[in-house]
Amino acid sequence: MKATAVEVKTTELLEVGGMALEAAGAAGVDEAEAYLSRTRSLIVEVADQRVETLHQSTELGVGLRVFRQGRMGFAFTTDLSPEGLAATARAAAANAAATARDEFNRLPGVSPAEPLDLVDPTVRERPTASKIEAAMAIERAAKGFDPRVTRVEKAAYTDGDYDVAVVNSQGVRVSYSGTSVSASISVVAEEKGSAETGWSFAFSHRADGIDVDFVGREAAEKAVQLLGARAVGTKRVNLVLDPLVAAEFLELLGPALSADAVQKGKSLFAGRVGEEVASPLIQVIDDGRLVEGAGAAPTDDEGVPTVPKVLIRDGILQGYLHNTYTAAKEGAGARSTGNGLRGSFRGTPEVRPSNLYLAAGTTSREKLLSEVEEGFYVTSVMGMHTVNPISGDFSVGAAGLWLEHGRFARPVRGVAIAGNLLELLKGVEAVADDLRFIGSAGAPTLRLAPITVSGE
Amino acid sequence: MIDPRDLGSVLEEALKRGGDFAEAFVEHRRVQALICEADRLERAATGLDQGAGIRVVQGETSAYAFTNDLSAQGLKAAADVVAAAAAAGHSGVVELPLAARQASFAPEIRRLPEDVPLEEKAGVVERANRAARSADGQVRQVTVNYRELDQEVTIANSLGFVAEDRRIRTVLALNAVAAKDGVIQTGYESVGGLAGPDLVDGDVPERLAGKAGKRAARMLSARPAPSGRMPVVMAAEAGGTMVHEACGHGLEADLAQKGLSVYANRHGEKVASDLVTVVDDGTLPQRYGSERFDDEGVPVRKRVLIERGILKDYMHSLITARKEGVEPNGCGRRESYRHVPIPRMSNTMIAPGSDDPGRIVADTRRGLYVTKMGGGQVNTANGDFVFEVAEGFLIENGQVGAAVRGATLTGNGPQALGIVDRVGSDLGFTIGTCGKDGQGVAVSDAQPTLRIPELIVGGTAHDPEGEENL
Repeated sequence: MKATAVEVKTTELLEVGGMALEAAGAAGVDEAEAYLSRTRSLIVEVADQRVETLHQSTELGVGLRVFRQGRMGFAFTTDLSPEGLAATARAAAANAAATARDEFNRLPGVSPAEPLDLVDPTVRERPTASKIEAAMAIERAAKGFDPRVTRVEKAAYTDGDYDVAVVNSQGVRVSYSGTSVSASISVVAEEKGSAETGWSFAFSHRADGIDVDFVGREAAEKAVQLLGARAVGTKRVNLVLDPLVAAEFLELLGPALSADAVQKGKSLFAGRVGEEVASPLIQVIDDGRLVEGAGAAPTDDEGVPTVPKVLIRDGILQGYLHNTYTAAKEGAGARSTGNGLRGSFRGTPEVRPSNLYLAAGTTSREKLLSEVEEGFYVTSVMGMHTVNPISGDFSVGAAGLWLEHGRFARPVRGVAIAGNLLELLKGVEAVADDLRFIGSAGAPTLRLAPITVSGE
Repeated sequence: MIDPRDLGSVLEEALKRGGDFAEAFVEHRRVQALICEADRLERAATGLDQGAGIRVVQGETSAYAFTNDLSAQGLKAAADVVAAAAAAGHSGVVELPLAARQASFAPEIRRLPEDVPLEEKAGVVERANRAARSADGQVRQVTVNYRELDQEVTIANSLGFVAEDRRIRTVLALNAVAAKDGVIQTGYESVGGLAGPDLVDGDVPERLAGKAGKRAARMLSARPAPSGRMPVVMAAEAGGTMVHEACGHGLEADLAQKGLSVYANRHGEKVASDLVTVVDDGTLPQRYGSERFDDEGVPVRKRVLIERGILKDYMHSLITARKEGVEPNGCGRRESYRHVPIPRMSNTMIAPGSDDPGRIVADTRRGLYVTKMGGGQVNTANGDFVFEVAEGFLIENGQVGAAVRGATLTGNGPQALGIVDRVGSDLGFTIGTCGKDGQGVAVSDAQPTLRIPELIVGGTAHDPEGEENL
């Protein structure tokens, strides 16, 4: 119903994009691509039922990629004046002169993309007072869950809307708009000198797509259930990963599934298409058209339509993610899978997952837990950013609940779990039916074969 | 760039409907990045990022808005947005005219980014690539990353001062990948500072590349790390991730004031061993976390946080200092004009002690010797921290033994620092981008060689018989 307003916003971006291409032409390049985005956002942070920060912003910028004799250069700017665009085009052309020639440096041609409904007009229409109330409701839900929830680090409601346009000298001219809403909270529960933390997060493209009470309660429950936690003795036991923890592990596989990493010999999965790389229970899918995920978009950031892809089927590796460059380099009819993505207009399109998830199984979470004789149910991990995605070796701090005879026996913290991502994937013994997304990654509860839990 | 004298009217605009304090942060940032991978210069990128963040603080509530439009009109529009967000009430007065702030030191930039041709920078990257590839025959892939940041900031606030700073930071980072018999390992090295491209003059690229390439190859034959509780000796060259996580974050005043830190309300108390003195110093020449003013315009200084085990100070922003009634100490930092300033570290270190570093390993019967730390993380509420061991060796009868891989060390800040029993006379730095509340800032961390008698090593080699088979 707001389609006209949206069209006006993206028309303006497409016009500036056209000007950027002209500036690139004047700088003497062979091919050029402009990526433009305008992002408006509002962040409300509350603590103790008062607003701590009200953060409002509009950001607009362009990233310009140019090719000259097979060499690629890139420059971005927030100055969209004709002089600003001309200076950016000259900088991009100068950068191109410094890089190596590569015959696979190409731009995609035109291919039509099905639109995707990512806009909820009520996100913008909702008054600020109501957004502040939403942030306060997250905090109330957390504190109301249990009196031992004593402190709230930050309860935040965030929303925004964005317009994106991609134009290139091969005739690509695409644009789309979207809205987003998210809620997050991080809390501390205290009892008898023990202080434990819990957090939760929810995202949706629609205003009614997040449940602020659930976010508050979940964070509170996570903190409270850890009260009194201690390390355990070093032991090899079954692990059960909470969906949010499983999704964090899954995200580590993103780089290894990129054709760029494969072509450069930096992937665990290089040369293994058709081989068993995971338990037969594992299905890994990347789908940029899944509107539940934060990574949903009709096209990637090169203007190539997004498509669903099964990357691991029944444990067998099916293929990799591609952008235009890696597909050209692969040859043999390979095509971009619509995974040329950027962090913002400040970056070049690199191979990345859009919405990466591990498909749900058929076992209920309760049954999956009840079958564990002795194990460790992991609800939070620390140091995931230190995991080496190239070797796959991981060793991270962990907290959660010890399982005995299928029941929660006591809380545990201050221990470490270690192994290799490939072993972890092969060791999956059960996949629950409770798939959940956290931003652009999703996973259900997983039960793993025994691994070492390092403790006292 | 806007004339700083014109910012007074922007501040008045921001305070027109109420507020105790107003601030304008104007930033003009240029970046240059070069990436070499697959044996060729693959990416060359340039960026111009400019914008202004306007803030109004009323009581304990902050309103913040930013814009990319640096015209007088654009700044006024952003000021209007924050003015509308600040609830009506007491209205502060802007102290005019704005007086220029003086810094406590002047950084020495020997060569400016714009004075060094792009070809010379590309040459540095290509030399590093070749050196890493020739460091060992098992090196299969090398990624070299060169980055320059040239950030000009003007910070004015209603207290009546304006600070201007130009911060030039240069980083050269290198990741070498070695492979053998289906095993892949990596070696990472980086150098960075508040410095121009001269930071990588001379044989810096070759030395860095040689270390990264050799480490990647060495890790191929490393054994799985042990698991369980044991003595850990950290070499000075391993860097300072441990101090950053074990007590750095917990001494940031915003977390402490909210009761979210195990170090909250412990001023004057014993929180570490007598051998431990922790300093955060943003004035160290050329260090990556240094700058003349913090991002609220307060001159940066040296802060002694823990002195011989006694907690002396926290790191403050203007807001946390006001809340506590203390002088701001120059720790209010932000990633860019898009972010609100919060208390952050700069260059954080455990001060050197008096032990001969070589004796510390020799006096340790069994344990883990850490020669390179990676990243880390902390739960400030209870003090639990982890950090990655990028390179480690077993200690056997006081000798450095076999290399081990794949371990994280887990500990608790006050407990671990409380039992430090040896502190060496050396000091080694590492650089990093520290993340907090979604904002990344440039920091460096440093430690002397030191020993912690008990930390949990999270390896994969588990022997139920215990430590005799370490």
